[in-house]
Amino acid sequence: MYRIRFHGRGGQGMKTASRILGEAFFLEGFEVQDAQRYGAERRGAPIFAYVRAAKEAIHERGVIARPGLIVVADDTLVAIAAAGVMQGLNEDCVVLIDSAESAAAWAERLNLPGPVIILPAHDTREAGEAAFVGVECAAAAACLAGVISQAYLEEAIRRELAPMGDEVVAQNLGIAADAYAKMEPYAGIVRADGTLSARAYKPPDWVDLPLEGVSLAGPAIYGGVNSELTNTGLWRTMRPVIDLERCNKCSWVCVSSCPDSAIQARADGTPEIDLDHCKGCMLCVAQCPPHAIGAVPETEALAREKAGEPVCAAN
Amino acid sequence: MPDAGASRFRRMRDLPSSHMLGAGTAMCAGCGGLAALTEAYDVLGENTVFVNAAGCMSLMSVYPFTPFRGSWLYTAMASAPAGAQGVRDALDVLRARGRITVQEDLQVVVLTGDGAAGGMGLSATSGAIDRGLDFIYFCYDNEGYGNTGQQTSALTPHAAATATDAGNSGFPGWKKDLFALWAANKPAYAATIIGGEPLDLVRKIEKARSFSGPRMILALSPCPTGWGYDPKLSIEIAHLAVKTGIWPLKEYIDGRVSHTRMPHPRLPVEEYLKPQGRFAHLFEPRRNEAALREIQAGVDAYWAPWEAQREA
Ligand SMILES: Cc1ncc(C[n+]2csc(CCOP(=O)(O)OP(=O)(O)O)c2C)c(N)n1
Ligand code: SF4
Repeated sequence: MYRIRFHGRGGQGMKTASRILGEAFFLEGFEVQDAQRYGAERRGAPIFAYVRAAKEAIHERGVIARPGLIVVADDTLVAIAAAGVMQGLNEDCVVLIDSAESAAAWAERLNLPGPVIILPAHDTREAGEAAFVGVECAAAAACLAGVISQAYLEEAIRRELAPMGDEVVAQNLGIAADAYAKMEPYAGIVRADGTLSARAYKPPDWVDLPLEGVSLAGPAIYGGVNSELTNTGLWRTMRPVIDLERCNKCSWVCVSSCPDSAIQARADGTPEIDLDHCKGCMLCVAQCPPHAIGAVPETEALAREKAGEPVCAAN
Repeated sequence: MPDAGASRFRRMRDLPSSHMLGAGTAMCAGCGGLAALTEAYDVLGENTVFVNAAGCMSLMSVYPFTPFRGSWLYTAMASAPAGAQGVRDALDVLRARGRITVQEDLQVVVLTGDGAAGGMGLSATSGAIDRGLDFIYFCYDNEGYGNTGQQTSALTPHAAATATDAGNSGFPGWKKDLFALWAANKPAYAATIIGGEPLDLVRKIEKARSFSGPRMILALSPCPTGWGYDPKLSIEIAHLAVKTGIWPLKEYIDGRVSHTRMPHPRLPVEEYLKPQGRFAHLFEPRRNEAALREIQAGVDAYWAPWEAQREA
């Protein structure tokens, strides 16, 4: 059975990726399950979707615990434990990752036991084209699986994207053909694993917790505003940067423009952006009357910080 | 604009310089509903208990995290006003027994999406109004079932494409008028707001707080995810909603509805519709003149009596 998990951010089309890949497997005569993890779809938030495909009936249910292929559409997710990107990683598992860094760098950094492949479209794709990432991932995964013809991949794309119109379909077919061709050297690298059996299941080392009363065991939260422990700054792909020389100190504008309480004003009216929580909506950039807030790609901002250079927007 | 006389918010610069609602919530980047709640919370303050119908906002407090300074309770989708009744009753009992002081008492606020508010939650809402429940009903209206992928709700506007009306003509029905439903039943206060107009918003929340009994706040909530636009446009779209007259800013007090903003001149509705993916089919591949005219006519008809009154 093929077990494939797609990890990305809301808005990158991971659900679409799983549907296209599932459809393509189906056209090839496989039994298929494709699903998105049920939960809220939040643009920018970590999400995943998965596909099972087998020639026999599929009795497994739920999230894939032992994947044969993990596709990572956004390499900043790897650092987010809650995204669970590396969950169930094993020696036979292939990791396909969309990144500007090399496969060797990822293999070493994460101590990955199996093959690592870089999604090569990365450098040619512009920031605004994130919508195509899902299709690219599906096409690459189809090639890596080695049992899906390009013709059926394209048919699956046509079926899944039909409501978006002919132009979008044509564009995506081009992107898919490209990704499929680039993965050709690795075609068939993903292994179809056997069925899992309950008999082989090793239970984890249980820790018995005492039975507590509701006041202790109930899901009640006693500390206010502790949501701030959640680092939603990791959702950001663009970073707002204030040019204090141009800033008029009319901070009531940017403070009220931020839906995430991530801007506050100092006593003298100078606004400060809380980068641990700014999700990168760019509303402050759009609303600042003297255009004193610029947008810098987060990757560039991080690289500059690493090099000890100041981060400023060229606007 | 609501009367500024009694307000502590006389001009834009009186708006808070930081927000009381915590950062780090799971709402989408650029969420217009979160914007409205964030601004409102600065006025509501920590002595507020939220009773939340299932929807996007029920992900605000996911164990073990909360952005609130005070209490929050999650209810089934149809039942938030019933939950609010229970909480209010409990607070009243505590007050009667002297276990909490007037200062320690809490304002009970229902937090609900438009799907719950205009659909399965209506019965519980109606009951709460009938019983004169002392609460604020805060509905963030993203014009669809946002949390589950923007299916059509009773408050989806005409022609908007949704997950369930995906064809090339969008939702064939018309937006339910929740404000009129409330106003017809003589609440203590009702108002429409939008996050992109923070001064109007905080004054109305201030006013809502000054009354007791059933009070309703309806916030049009531009939703980048469900409406299909870049998050950085959320405020611009809010401004266009007001300037085109699509979203009248108004309030109900003592049997009278009055507008806190009269857009004049009103911009053509298509300025509001155009930047949104859910209305793209009205412009591409060719303009759907009939539908655009129909939507404009609806807005014109709404304003006609008010504009006539102003001219007189
Ligand atoms: C009785 C019931 N049916 C369905 C659901 C699934 N559900 C959870 S949130 C949601 C959407 C609610 O829409 P709305 O009230 O408009 O709030 P929004 O998601 O837009 O914030 C649905 C259908 C539920 N929780 N309970
Ligand atoms: S789906 Fe819309 S309303 Fe819900 S959190 Fe996202 S932007 Fe806000």
